Amino acid sequence: MISFDHDKHHVPTKSSWPTVLRFLSTIEMLCVLIVTMLFMANPAWSQPQSEAAVVIEQNVAPSADPSDESVNRIAAIDASTSQPIPPETVLAAQRARIEAMKRASYATVAVHSKDGEGGGSGVCISADGYVLTNFHVSSPFGHRMKCGLNDGKMYDCVVAGIDPTGDLAVLKMYGRDDFPVAAIGDSDLVRAGHWCFAAGNPFVLATNLQPTITYGIVSGVRRYQYPSGTFLEYSDCIQTDAAINPGNSGGPLFNMNGELIGINGRCSFEKRGRVNVGVGYAISIKQAMNFYWQLRSGRVVDHATLGFTVATDSKGKVTVSNILESSDAFRRGIRYGDEILKVGDRDIATTNQLKNIVGIYPDNWRIPIRYRNADGVLDTYIRLPSLHLSSELEEIVQGENPRPRRAPMPKPNEKSEGKDAEVEEIQEVKETVDPLSDKFEIKRGFSNYYFNRLEKKRIVDLLHTFSAPFDGSKAVHWDGTVLAENQSYSGVSSESSILCRIGNDTETLHPTQGWLPQIRSKSNVCIGMAIRIWHLWNTIGPDKMGEAVYLGRNPIVGTEELFDTIKLTTGEVNCLVYTSPLNGSIRLIELFADNQVDPAEVYFDAYLTENTPKAPSVIRLQFGLELQTLVRLTDVKLVDPSGVTAQ
Amino acid sequence: MRILIRSRTARLFMLFWAALCIPSTAGKSSETPDAPSVAPGQTVPGSDGQTTVVQHDDLVDRVQQKMVKIFGAGGARGLESYQSGFWIGKEGLILTSWSTVLDVSKLRVVAHDGRKFDAEILSFDPSIELALLKVSDAQIEGFEIDPKSAVRVGQRVFAVSNLFKIATGDEYCSVQKGVIMAISSLTQKRGTTKNMSLGKVYILDVMTNNPGATGGALIDIRGGLIGVIGKESRDASTGIWVNYALPIEVVHASVERMKSGAAFSPTTELAVAEKPHKLNELGMTLIPDVLPKTPVFIDEVRSGSLAELSGLKANDLILLLNDQRIDSRKNFERLLGSLNRADSFELLVQRGQELIRIQVRP
Repeated sequence: MISFDHDKHHVPTKSSWPTVLRFLSTIEMLCVLIVTMLFMANPAWSQPQSEAAVVIEQNVAPSADPSDESVNRIAAIDASTSQPIPPETVLAAQRARIEAMKRASYATVAVHSKDGEGGGSGVCISADGYVLTNFHVSSPFGHRMKCGLNDGKMYDCVVAGIDPTGDLAVLKMYGRDDFPVAAIGDSDLVRAGHWCFAAGNPFVLATNLQPTITYGIVSGVRRYQYPSGTFLEYSDCIQTDAAINPGNSGGPLFNMNGELIGINGRCSFEKRGRVNVGVGYAISIKQAMNFYWQLRSGRVVDHATLGFTVATDSKGKVTVSNILESSDAFRRGIRYGDEILKVGDRDIATTNQLKNIVGIYPDNWRIPIRYRNADGVLDTYIRLPSLHLSSELEEIVQGENPRPRRAPMPKPNEKSEGKDAEVEEIQEVKETVDPLSDKFEIKRGFSNYYFNRLEKKRIVDLLHTFSAPFDGSKAVHWDGTVLAENQSYSGVSSESSILCRIGNDTETLHPTQGWLPQIRSKSNVCIGMAIRIWHLWNTIGPDKMGEAVYLGRNPIVGTEELFDTIKLTTGEVNCLVYTSPLNGSIRLIELFADNQVDPAEVYFDAYLTENTPKAPSVIRLQFGLELQTLVRLTDVKLVDPSGVTAQ
Repeated sequence: MRILIRSRTARLFMLFWAALCIPSTAGKSSETPDAPSVAPGQTVPGSDGQTTVVQHDDLVDRVQQKMVKIFGAGGARGLESYQSGFWIGKEGLILTSWSTVLDVSKLRVVAHDGRKFDAEILSFDPSIELALLKVSDAQIEGFEIDPKSAVRVGQRVFAVSNLFKIATGDEYCSVQKGVIMAISSLTQKRGTTKNMSLGKVYILDVMTNNPGATGGALIDIRGGLIGVIGKESRDASTGIWVNYALPIEVVHASVERMKSGAAFSPTTELAVAEKPHKLNELGMTLIPDVLPKTPVFIDEVRSGSLAELSGLKANDLILLLNDQRIDSRKNFERLLGSLNRADSFELLVQRGQELIRIQVRP
């Protein structure tokens, strides 16, 4: 008989061993001893525990009844054969499981402070050492940490980007170019009841840097866990009963193929203290990968809103209850009272589902949305506004993330005053030079601006493998036709002006000024502006054109892939420039006049790859989702600017 | 804490199991005609010759449709306002735990598809703290309660509940996997006056008994109901929480009892005793009767009175009188009026978070 008190409040926690021992009478202690000795004596049993487990799992169901034949079956295995042979299928499944867990262990990272203290978990997802973890794991360590892998080595590590809203961070390890990488799974396929396992560093147990594996099932999917304020929100997350304990945070959750399906980060605790109660939550790998490139940008990244709110109406429909007239959603035709049917790839039946799904998207993404109004069911795309003001994000970073402390430096005048002892002391506390000191750069709005530089350099380098930099002294001359109207469209982009000749009309634009009215009036000259940006991008690169910030990878309407996106402020316009992650070529330039009107979207749908320079051949100008002009360029060449003026 | 599991052999095996950390599946095959030939969790050779693991998602889908989330009274610290339950049979009956969550005039039940129902308490069983709710027009087919379901120590089970109120609308209840560690009797000390024996329970190796989990379903690997998740319970001296479920045969007997009418709310006219009990003679006053259903809180207990000697205290909430449900002060006075002044009776009161049985012996 077990006696328990009902619903009592906290009792001071005692260490676990004495508690366990108190359960046991002497006889039971003996039994434990015997079992232990059996393990040591019998080589077959001293195999990894899981093997022994499966053997018995398949053969017997233990019973409280001593007369049950299953009890005798254990004895039979024990007495008659020293090598019980379970079915081959069972052994194969077990081998697969052991293999998956082994593979998973390679990529699992123990995250420590730069002095090797404290700890959480992470998972390496690129061979050059990018690590996904939780924001709440990285933030107490500032910008520098050390990461341990199960090769037994510690690697120097620096923070790249952080996502305080979604509780994610990306770190970069240094020291190898062949870090073991976790295979990325599809978290959309995960369902409640699937087996899964977590790897990580609970209670900072991994002193030998071998991750702890805990095994369980998916208890629920598409879970929502409320944020504190607007930060640390877990949207559309995976719930598991695999033990997630303090220290598991930031670590990976895998499916049984050893594919990464989530980043463990949160548990329900309530009154039982901060230990696992069978309820842990993992950020879906889908959300994490949506944010991965945004985080590699070294920014403090933000989540999105829709620009409208919804409520459940009297018929149980999810309808728009409030909408900002300046929002993209409003410009795309969504109005008060319209029923929202689908957001992204998720059908919406409740307001909870809508709130849940919006949380997985970064701001500035354009996602599909299906809604119903009096005209019927309509599909469109909306551009997602930011959830926070940039100042709000800066605040949380200032508040929670201790910035790097400089080594105390003796002031020059103190030195000259000549107290030798003091000077010596100061020299002692002076820190050794950080090997990663050149990998960290402070800038407003960034957790580490160094990584933004790095990504911009990557994009420019990539572009130069596609097409050599243009000669800065040349202008660009193009010839082409407006396809629908069969008009010619030619022009010249030079230092002094942008000249566009459409049919018989000629428009001359200042190279940096006067663009905004043209964008607002949806002029075809916007194509000329985009060519100008493409021209300069290929000549001097984004950094010298104005202020350029790498945002991450964003989708383009009509394609499946994501594109590297740089926000460029040049002259008086803000642009988003989308480039191919494969060759760095520009795919889309969006020119923003202000947030009240649609930007001009100039798509470079195809390139003249035989031409020198490689230049866009099909250019599409679009506002909102409406095609304005389609132009085919037949000839693009770099020319002497003097020749242009002569024309 | 003392563990005295009935047979020593059982204890031995528990330890054996604990030492091996063995997850174990049930060996017994199901009688269900449509049961898959291979139990989920077992391994089968795939068509390509590779081994695949049978997952439990279809099982989870089937079971989810029988689960409900229950929202009622509470919300104060340590007293949740939500719990779990499930449909049984085909007549719109819901089985759940009998708890303070149900002390509300309008009990809200949310089905798997997000439909919301108002439920009424049909009956309840204080002995093992189960309650039967009734919803009209739900048309959801629930679990069949088969008291002969074979359950054994070491068997793989799943606990399905809405612990921590993770689901509120059409979201799924949570599923946890576990093993029946032991079958034992469990006594819970409730307050100062009485130890309450729940009788035989299944002790589980997994943290199933969390806030709001009570009333959830314990199912086997084929989705059959084998138990009901109990309330949270914790050993006072060690701080260890026990995770347990009420066994199917106990649940079955209780449901039959409840269906047959024990502990129903009194609806018929009661005979009035010739010399009935009166509140002032018992020595207690209740809070004024100002609502249609004023809860029966004791306002004051006179020193030296029968009420005080019996152990009643101010602020006690009276829930039961002789196992009859008390939902209002009017109802209480009516019931009290049906008892003869010389008769003993039993009250069940809630004091803070404790439920206490009190014998009143004139």
